[in-house]
Amino acid sequence: MNLKQVFNYLFIFSMVILPTFGLIKFHEYMDYYEMFILAATGITFILINKYWQNFSYLVSTILIFSFISIFLYEGNLLTSEKQFALKYFLSSQSAIMWMCSLYPLSLLMYWFYLFKKNPFLGNFASNLTWIATVMGFVGLLVRWFESYLISIDVGHIPVSNLYEVFVLFCLITALLHLYYEEKMNRKELGAFILIIINIAVGFILWYTFSKGADEIQPLVPALQSYWMKIHVPANFIGYGAFAIAAMISIAYLLADKGILKSRLPSLVILDDLTYKAIAIGFIFFTIATILGAVWAAEAWGGYWSWDPKETWALIVWLNYAGWLHLRLVKGLRGPLLAWWSIIGLLITTFAFLGVNLFLSGLHSYGEL
Amino acid sequence: MRFAITMLCFIGIASVIGTILKQNEPYENYIIKFGQFWFEFFEAMGLYNVYQALWFLLILLFLIISTSFCVSRNSPKILKEYKKFQLNAREKSLSSFKHSYQIPVKEFNASKLEKFLLKNKFRLKQNINKDGSLIISAKKGDFQKLGYIFTHLAIIIISVGGLMDGNLVLKMQELTGSKQIIYEDLALNDIPDTGKLTTSNFSYRAQMLLREGEKQSVAVLKAKEGYFIQDLPFVVGLNDFRIEHYSTGQPKSFESDLIVEDKATGQLVKKTIDVNNPLTFNGITIYQSSFEDGGSELSLDLWNLHSTDMASPMESVIFKKNELLIANKKYFFEFNDFRKFNILDIEIGNEKKPTNVGPSFIYKVRNESGQANEYQTYQFPMNIDGSSYYISGMRKTPQEDYQYLKLPADANGKIDGFMLFKSLLNSPSKLSNVIESVVEKSFPNGGEKSQIYFEGVKRVMAEFVKGGYSQVAAAIDTSIPLDDQKRIANSYIKIIFLVGQELIDTYSNDNDAFLFENNQKFVQESLTGFNDSFFYGLPIFLELKDYVHVQSSGLQLTKSPGQFWVYLGSILLVLGIFCMIYIQEVRLWILKKKNNKNVLLALATNRHRYEFDQFAKKVSQQIRKILN
Ligand code: HEM
Repeated sequence: MNLKQVFNYLFIFSMVILPTFGLIKFHEYMDYYEMFILAATGITFILINKYWQNFSYLVSTILIFSFISIFLYEGNLLTSEKQFALKYFLSSQSAIMWMCSLYPLSLLMYWFYLFKKNPFLGNFASNLTWIATVMGFVGLLVRWFESYLISIDVGHIPVSNLYEVFVLFCLITALLHLYYEEKMNRKELGAFILIIINIAVGFILWYTFSKGADEIQPLVPALQSYWMKIHVPANFIGYGAFAIAAMISIAYLLADKGILKSRLPSLVILDDLTYKAIAIGFIFFTIATILGAVWAAEAWGGYWSWDPKETWALIVWLNYAGWLHLRLVKGLRGPLLAWWSIIGLLITTFAFLGVNLFLSGLHSYGEL
Repeated sequence: MRFAITMLCFIGIASVIGTILKQNEPYENYIIKFGQFWFEFFEAMGLYNVYQALWFLLILLFLIISTSFCVSRNSPKILKEYKKFQLNAREKSLSSFKHSYQIPVKEFNASKLEKFLLKNKFRLKQNINKDGSLIISAKKGDFQKLGYIFTHLAIIIISVGGLMDGNLVLKMQELTGSKQIIYEDLALNDIPDTGKLTTSNFSYRAQMLLREGEKQSVAVLKAKEGYFIQDLPFVVGLNDFRIEHYSTGQPKSFESDLIVEDKATGQLVKKTIDVNNPLTFNGITIYQSSFEDGGSELSLDLWNLHSTDMASPMESVIFKKNELLIANKKYFFEFNDFRKFNILDIEIGNEKKPTNVGPSFIYKVRNESGQANEYQTYQFPMNIDGSSYYISGMRKTPQEDYQYLKLPADANGKIDGFMLFKSLLNSPSKLSNVIESVVEKSFPNGGEKSQIYFEGVKRVMAEFVKGGYSQVAAAIDTSIPLDDQKRIANSYIKIIFLVGQELIDTYSNDNDAFLFENNQKFVQESLTGFNDSFFYGLPIFLELKDYVHVQSSGLQLTKSPGQFWVYLGSILLVLGIFCMIYIQEVRLWILKKKNNKNVLLALATNRHRYEFDQFAKKVSQQIRKILN
């Protein structure tokens, strides 16, 4: 057995042991659904790791840093102002700020790489993205913990307002990007995908410094549901994948016009990647919308109320269903589909952000 | 397909309109927004309730029909294909495939090949043709095609479920006239049968507003500007409604303790429902959807700010009206809401923090000519800039922000000190006494000058008591030359303050409300408060002494038989999409002709994907290995 295999078994072992430990120690605070979610998370991670080895390194690093941070807190929120490691690295706010500063750097590196084609630069860019992603996830997990330090009844998973979901968006998009990058063994597309991530980073920074959005707020009654734990992340896998599809489509259109053509992967590969991203996004978005309907049935008394957010989810869904029809049924390829997926991202963005900003409805959380 | 896509686009556009144009608002809002002409046009188009407009439902229906046709036409083909292995493929057509390979054979071992293909999850059949050649036809990933049936069937099932829960039946009944929307506020007994829906109604989403301690067996189904009455198979009673709060004051949960009794069997169910936790009974689900005041009882003290009177008590109930006669003028009080908790951003230390400032009540006061102002008055004093004030907001229209009247709390933290002060101001004899002693202090020897001064101060104070500083200013404007106005105004303000202070000094022995260490601040704030009361639109201040809080819980009752189908369809949909996207259909043929050194291997897929080239290459190499 080599080191890699040992680590692999260790990972599987801990993905079984940690949830089990959690179930034994904390079962009185959880309902059955939450126990199920916890157990399923462990199993899902084992499965993902089967297809993507680096995933276990990512999860392990994130968990280790998060546990260190939790340990350093000693059960007191104010420790973060005194303790050096917490104050500058591992409190949720600092970790997220590290994420916010590393993503722009990795975008820069990816562009250097695109022009210089120096493998060292490529790896450097990838590693920066990797570290930024770890820091972001640590930030979210620690934030989850911090919310319980504020007060037991305030504690909740950090996917409940625009600030938190924007961080989640960056992380999931980056994760999907890292996965494809490794599978394709090509690093050029980071130069495009990191753009959308950094737009989100810009938003997070603006939102933090001008609106103080990073403050942890208690949940309004409608959001107190275990459904939130799966509905929101599933949605953001969808959004992240659609964002990636749109960014690759931009690369496609440029290459199609001959711009950067020699530096980018071939049109066939770009086209195929767009398809894969949209396929992943479509399936998760479908699941998320269905979960949202189930949740709405439970909280508001109807699985579908034509609430603006629901309606726009339907529009996004129909849009990508149309895209898939053209490609699968008519066998269409080329710039039209690329443009379509870019416009698809605009529609998605409106569903994600615009509805909250401009339209009113039951999904009133996360107003600016 | 083209038809289906057109329909889909229509649905998309209609949906967008439905999100941009706020749905189901009171019609007057639309009239204000669009004007009469466009209001009627949009109304005829059903744009105020797009998702229940007849044309929208018809489009949905067409979509279901066209998708059904699509499925029924394609499914038999697909199912037939599932069973069929093309064993009659010709060498010529096979060798024209993009992925076809001539593989040299050392020894041909069919069972080894079979094993390899089975291991790779192929299904296969083989056949020996008339000419003695052996053909193996294998395939895998048929579920991709089944995915087509799954997704499209799912869409039909979901749409049918959705239509089942829509109000198509009620719409038909409205069209034929057997049911009619009720537009007036009628007592339950006066509602005609055409406005009542029986318990056999197939599906609905109705509302019920229950006061604590009340029971009801009907719900209200809103329709356009009116409503229907929905009869229920059970009686719903509300024992208690609670709002719990976080320590910061934001609401944490809304809970109703319900007792539901079946009308037919008498079966009783007790349950506490809250926002993510409904009760299902007899196929009907009861949800917590809103809350409002249920007629709280208020004990008020009524202070007339412009008289010497002290408080007179007044009892009132939310949603009731009180009529008062004050100084020969009639005032109509409409009490609209009582809020036990009010979260405001209040300065604590250097920070503004959301804080619960205690109860408030909201009421409208209409004068004889029908004009109304809205008021929100808080029970307890609030800390603002280091002082403690009783606060009451006034506004003329709901669009405006409140203008606040701030009356200072006295040495005991009560409002009595201010009220005593205003009654002293309003008493001409007491005021006159105090002015005398103020004048005496300035002119200890008396004389003619002091008499003139006395008359002057009296006049200033009379103006102030009549209308505040602006009344004094108006008097200055008419009687004093322009150059002197500013100087005179300043000295008047000083005089008013001196008189105010003397009032409190004189009467502080009789009243502990005035026992300040230093009363200057209180005098200043009281004068400001008194002055502001002239802009309050009402000579009355209502002080909340006590209350009995009664709440109403807003429930939503839904019967949605389509839900099961929607969920079933959803599962099928996810399965179907998964099959379609992630399963690659592969067909493979191996043709071994008699007396031929080579074997012909051909691979095909219905949807060419990037990975298929690699897959085909890999399989061909593996087969080459087996045959060598
Ligand atoms: C959910 C994702 C969907 C996927 C992946 C999908 C996929 C497909 C595929 C592969 C076909 C071609 C079938 C064939 O001819 O072999 C097809 C045809 C069709 N789809 Fe979909 N579809 C989806 C959703 C929808 C929706 C939402 C509608 C509209 C309600 C729809 C309506 C149709 C129609 C009308 C056809 C044409 C059938 C014909 O040519 O006779 N599909 N779809």
